[in-house]
Amino acid sequence: MERIPVIFDCDTGIDDAIAILLALKIPAFDIKGFTCVAGNTPLPKVLRNTGHVLELAGVDLPVYAGADKPLFADATAPTAEHVHGKNGLGDLEFDDPKRAPESMKAWDYIYEEAKRQNGALELIATAPLTNLAMAFLKYKELPKLIRRIVIMGGAASYGNVTPAAEFNIYTDPEAAEIVFNSGVPVHMVGLDVTLKAWFNAEESEKLSAVNEQGMFCHLVGRGEMRYSLGHGFPGMCLHDPCAVIYAAYPELYKTDTVGVHVETLGKYTRGKTVTDFLSDKQFPVKNAVIVYDVDREAFRDKVFELIGSYSA
Amino acid sequence: MENIKPIPVILEGDPGHDDAIAWVLANSTDRLKILGVCTSAGNQTIEKTTYNAQRILTLIGYKGPLAKGRTRPLIEEPMNAPSVHGESGLDGPVLPEPEIEPVEEDSVVLMARLIEESEEPVTLVPTGPLTNIAALLTERPDLKPKIARISLMGGGLASGNWTPAAEFNILVDPEAADVVFRSGVPILMAGLDVTEKALIFPEDFERIRAVGNPVAKVVAEWLEFFYHFHRDIGYTGAPVHDPCAVAALLHPEIMTMKDVHVDIELTGKYCRGMTVADMYGSTDKKPNVRAILNIDRKAFADLLVEAVKAYDEK
Repeated sequence: MERIPVIFDCDTGIDDAIAILLALKIPAFDIKGFTCVAGNTPLPKVLRNTGHVLELAGVDLPVYAGADKPLFADATAPTAEHVHGKNGLGDLEFDDPKRAPESMKAWDYIYEEAKRQNGALELIATAPLTNLAMAFLKYKELPKLIRRIVIMGGAASYGNVTPAAEFNIYTDPEAAEIVFNSGVPVHMVGLDVTLKAWFNAEESEKLSAVNEQGMFCHLVGRGEMRYSLGHGFPGMCLHDPCAVIYAAYPELYKTDTVGVHVETLGKYTRGKTVTDFLSDKQFPVKNAVIVYDVDREAFRDKVFELIGSYSA
Repeated sequence: MENIKPIPVILEGDPGHDDAIAWVLANSTDRLKILGVCTSAGNQTIEKTTYNAQRILTLIGYKGPLAKGRTRPLIEEPMNAPSVHGESGLDGPVLPEPEIEPVEEDSVVLMARLIEESEEPVTLVPTGPLTNIAALLTERPDLKPKIARISLMGGGLASGNWTPAAEFNILVDPEAADVVFRSGVPILMAGLDVTEKALIFPEDFERIRAVGNPVAKVVAEWLEFFYHFHRDIGYTGAPVHDPCAVAALLHPEIMTMKDVHVDIELTGKYCRGMTVADMYGSTDKKPNVRAILNIDRKAFADLLVEAVKAYDEK
């Protein structure tokens, strides 16, 4: 089987961590490297967390540091430690990873890898899109070298960090608009679908019994599970895993091809992924595939299957 | 049912096919007491929507006051919707020549007088841009306690129609919408979330036509005209937006609603005129809107059939 070369851009993060474990076991993917960006937690913690997850997965892959703040922001990015814990990984304790991050910058690596793959490279991004935007700004010919970008981010309807905006896009709206305008098809796995991709407490418990990696998924999400159940959700939403599973198994999802732009100026709507569902004045270019529904049980089974493929 | 006191209402719209049907519905029942009808500029210019209002009200035998609204939005340049409603704003069937003239008073003055004179608090039912309602609330804030609620057609919590983010009525005059949504007066919002589900299918047009009276025939033709535009852009029926704002007063039990805070976006490259709803509670703002999210489509279609039947006896 011809495997698809993939770079995984992340801000690890509880659900990024689970998403990485899943992506590494998808037979169709040949994950080449990880690029890290500030988001759920500051960049140094993202690098450490990503390195730890790769050790847990038993793989030896390069990790590249990218942006430590949004494109046009003076300050460091706002984080989501109330969700992801002080260390960004549910406050699980672990040793520093043995392999250090590479010295090359994330955006330079994306370009170099894209050239090596000669147009076959796909990007999965479960983080603010700063690294990707930097790559597009720096390398004009890059869009021609990337086949597809699958993101966890945005929302066609309602936001979570503000009424209109989702966290990853809200953290760096300008970067997101650069990515949506890049000419590369963007597959947007936003809150419209990720809020439907949840695990309940019983399912998480069951996953913990599968193997070491399943136990990690269960433990890392404990706080978020408590928080979600306390706020009336049926379980914990696996936002980033929802995007990774979509990237390989789109048949479990419902999609529509539409125009999407990111609002960068609004008072209440900055960071909204403005999605042209039923407008009479269509955006001229249908630059995105919006993913809006998932077969939750099939998604859950796929997570069990992939985590189960780590040895018991 | 006979013992229920009628709800005093002022209808305010920019007819417009669906405004016209909203008024047919409102005038069909004793459960609403129409104190006055006012026009707004929107689907067409104020001259055209007022002329249309005169003809519609003549058709349905309304004898109360009619007043003309303001010619242009508070700040924004005027904008109309000829692609949907035609050059007249109400293309389609031939209508009777007007037997009713607008009063001399500006609609804001008329609305203020009717609200002052009413013993009961009055429900406003705007189905066009909110220019005149905003002017009323700004010029006469003392009347707010006498406004029971504003049951409006406008906006869309999940998405827009005229732009990807904004619905037509709000987009035409976003500043006016902002005044209304901040006013503190209870708002019942029939936005695209529900009105796009309030589809009337061709078989419903035939049921309405079969009722046979002159109002029924005209309503069937309005629906047909309105449907042709929408069919061309992929609809299976006519989304009959404005009557939802009236139906919500008569039959809230056929709808699902949610109390939510809504801000009007006035700035933005793509989002001006958007009704921004805090659906997941990411702010501490208190709900200012009861938003209608869904409707029993069949019950709604039946309601329109019943409404035109009432004109057998009028």
